[in-house]
Amino acid sequence: MLTDNNKIFHRKKILTIFLVCTGIFLALLGRLVYLCVWESEHYSAMATQLHERERSIKAARGRILDRNGIVLADNRTVCTISVIHNQVEDPEKVIEVLSRELELSEDYVRGRVEKYSAMERVKSNVDKELGDRIREYDLAGVKVDEDYKRYYPYDDLASKVLGFTGGDNQGIIGLEVVYDEYLQGEPGEILTMTDARGIEVEAAGERRVEPVSGLDLHISLDRNIQSYAAQLARQAMATKEADSVSILVMNPQNGEIYACVNVPEFDLNNPFELPEGTPENISEEESRNILNGIWRNGCINDTYEPGSTFKIITAAAGLEAGVVTTESDFSCPGFIVVDDRTIHCHKRAGHGSQNFTQTMMNSCNPALISVGLRLGIDNYYSYFEKFGLKKMTGVDLPGEAGTIMHRKEDMGNVELATVAFGQSFQITPIQLLTTVSSVINGGRRITPHFGIQTTDARGNVVERFEYPVATEIVSGETSATMRGILEMVVQEGSGSNGKVEGFRIGGKTATSQTLPRGSGRYIASFIGFAPADDPQVIAIAIVNNPQGVYYGSQVAAPIVRQLYENILPYLGIE
Amino acid sequence: MRAQVRHRRKRKEQSEYFFDYSLLFVVLFLLGFGLVMIYSASSYEAFQSYGETTYYMKRQLIAIVIGMVMMIVVANIPYHFWERFALLGYLISMALVPVVLTPLGVESHGARRWIKIPGIGLNLQPAEVAKLCLILFLAVMVCKIGKNVRTMKGFILMVVLPIPVVLEIYLITRNLSSAIIIMGISVLMVFVASPDYKKFIVMGALVVAAAALVVFLAVSSTQNAAEGEEVNFRFGRITAWLDPESDAAGTGFQTLQGLYAIGSGGVWGKGLGQSMQKLNYLPEAQNDMIFSIICEELGLFGAIAVIIMFVMLLWRMMVIANNAPDLFGAMLVVGVMGHIAIQAILNIAVVTNSIPNTGISLPFISYGGSSVMFLLIEIGLVLSVARRIQLKEL
Repeated sequence: MLTDNNKIFHRKKILTIFLVCTGIFLALLGRLVYLCVWESEHYSAMATQLHERERSIKAARGRILDRNGIVLADNRTVCTISVIHNQVEDPEKVIEVLSRELELSEDYVRGRVEKYSAMERVKSNVDKELGDRIREYDLAGVKVDEDYKRYYPYDDLASKVLGFTGGDNQGIIGLEVVYDEYLQGEPGEILTMTDARGIEVEAAGERRVEPVSGLDLHISLDRNIQSYAAQLARQAMATKEADSVSILVMNPQNGEIYACVNVPEFDLNNPFELPEGTPENISEEESRNILNGIWRNGCINDTYEPGSTFKIITAAAGLEAGVVTTESDFSCPGFIVVDDRTIHCHKRAGHGSQNFTQTMMNSCNPALISVGLRLGIDNYYSYFEKFGLKKMTGVDLPGEAGTIMHRKEDMGNVELATVAFGQSFQITPIQLLTTVSSVINGGRRITPHFGIQTTDARGNVVERFEYPVATEIVSGETSATMRGILEMVVQEGSGSNGKVEGFRIGGKTATSQTLPRGSGRYIASFIGFAPADDPQVIAIAIVNNPQGVYYGSQVAAPIVRQLYENILPYLGIE
Repeated sequence: MRAQVRHRRKRKEQSEYFFDYSLLFVVLFLLGFGLVMIYSASSYEAFQSYGETTYYMKRQLIAIVIGMVMMIVVANIPYHFWERFALLGYLISMALVPVVLTPLGVESHGARRWIKIPGIGLNLQPAEVAKLCLILFLAVMVCKIGKNVRTMKGFILMVVLPIPVVLEIYLITRNLSSAIIIMGISVLMVFVASPDYKKFIVMGALVVAAAALVVFLAVSSTQNAAEGEEVNFRFGRITAWLDPESDAAGTGFQTLQGLYAIGSGGVWGKGLGQSMQKLNYLPEAQNDMIFSIICEELGLFGAIAVIIMFVMLLWRMMVIANNAPDLFGAMLVVGVMGHIAIQAILNIAVVTNSIPNTGISLPFISYGGSSVMFLLIEIGLVLSVARRIQLKEL
């Protein structure tokens, strides 16, 4: 038996143990309160991140519509095939079926199936029919998700303008790139709870974040004008055995581009297809170079020597500076001596005596060189800059090429003389068209563009695009004079092939020899606008390396004429 | 006078002795609660591994039934009966530990800590046997030494006695946690037996200092270790303890998964059966880490309820120990009390990442057959002591 004395200290000690233990339990409770209350959010978030698997839902990409609401770029339902490693029950069967149906190498599919990850994409952009067929195999661990693929109903129509998208719904070239942020939308997510092996927990349900569809883009392009222009360009390319033909049609008053044709075009639904006759065993880099060449938009990405069409700018500068009037007299002996160089006129015999309007009608080189020389290097250069020729036009397509021009310090009279009639420097067709537009529209330099507005799924306008306009490029008077001169060029001068019955057309032809000189390669071009007194439409046709007759008046002017014969009534221009 | 007689008779009819129903109730509650939680925590994994959701729960239930039978038997045998087996038990537990190295030993979870009992499908952990045997042995020794425990010699003898078994368990089965628990039980028993406080305060201070030194060494060695160099596994556990997120995929994995469970349970919990962490995320969900699943499903309040039950259990045992008819009985109860207290505290401390991770199960609740059977035998001993308390002494 315990003695009473002993009992007391034993009891005290046992009580001590009990109290110390209770104290420790209280401390642990404090720790639990800290974890469950203060740190709860932190650990909950981390746990949720651990438990949730997300599958993204592609957003429907916005459509691209022409000025009349015709859909030029649309979406089609396609399927994405994925495998979920942990759910695959019969890997060999999965590999066999997927490689056979999807026409993929067995090694590739095996790599995907055997890779230890939550979810592995095997192939995207699979036709809906094929996706449905794979779904019918009912293979455990194979997931068929539907999403959207870009679809271009008119195949190669305006291919270099519209551009196309990649597998992840991102624009690769053209308007698809420039307006990507509007078109793309926001992908949604399906969040499912899974166990540590990635198996979905049915009871836990799923959280969906709905995707936000991209906005529709309305552009100034007119499908009818575009397709007719493309037809003309293809025709010209075939008959003239040309390397390429470009046609740009624009509203000179506001810069809306109605058509932008660069034949040969490519099929937007198969943008990676190499042209026929390409050797099969070319390297990745070579094929990429070929594709980049195919995708180039000549009107915007490439520069050329404009030739005589540039005389419009020289004439406008001369009139604006007051160094010539329409009545000024010029005499052309067939050549002109500038410093120590003799520059010939295209008419070796000379045009004889002519007034300024007649020099433009004749496209007389010596006369325009004289205008340039009268302006002088400083003046001419400042007009060149004032017209905006050294800046880009700001067109809403990627990769616009800049102007290649002499530096002012390097310019002598010879350089000035050649620039005056459109040689020894390079600009893009869009630059030329824009500058001529500002000369004939009363002196406003407009920004050429395609994008007009974006609308949401219900057709409400979300954003209207505004483009900068620079005014006072030339005076209204000069502009009116230039319209008159250019109308005369078409009516009675070198541009007579651009005449359209019943319409007042203004224009200018050009035949420029490409570098190196003497290669026999020419670029034939024609700029025409209508009506001549109040231009509503301006077009340029450029035929690159035509065979046989190569004059702009013979090759390019008829293209614009045929175009106008159709589209002027269509546009309601009288 | 007559009334007094009647009163006495009535008392006699009831029982002359005490039976601690509260203790029994708390134990039964913990066991039942444990079964529910084991089912909740393990059913998903059990179905994946064995094709039946009740695999772990059934096995635990069988162990509990066997344990309850043994508890009732032990509770009905006067506890002095066991006195004669004290030395034998001590020797048996010493002999049993090395058996894990023989072909009878069973390896599980990367450690060889179990012995297969031929015939029955159950595995026995020698450390569990050692805990029970040492409680008995030390209780007997305390009574034998008597007042000599107050001398330095007696004190040292008492502290040294459990050391061979502790070393065996640590060195042979590499089971640090069981070694710590046995040492802790022994120290607590000596603490109660000896009227002295100073020695124990010094001992406690030394332990704290040693722990601090180990932590310091661990931190500096990890910092100095060159890239790719293996860091000692116990040191790795210490650095993972200080910042489990630093090695979330490695040593800190289990701890961090446990914290996710506790943290995401919040104050009210996700509801019984709603744990996400038990879906293969948290290793040993039904075992050492069951407390974190309790926190996840039942929240802070579930955790408080469990802690209150353990405090009640300790309180009942304190009452029994304080009223034990003799020193031997009191020491037995103190040993059991120490065992349950240390294990519950260490388990909750590990789960809440208050101390470095080491495998300790939560008494009565964690899955583990031999553990729950031996705990029930110990409760049987306590009940047996309680039955010897004469009510008039209360």
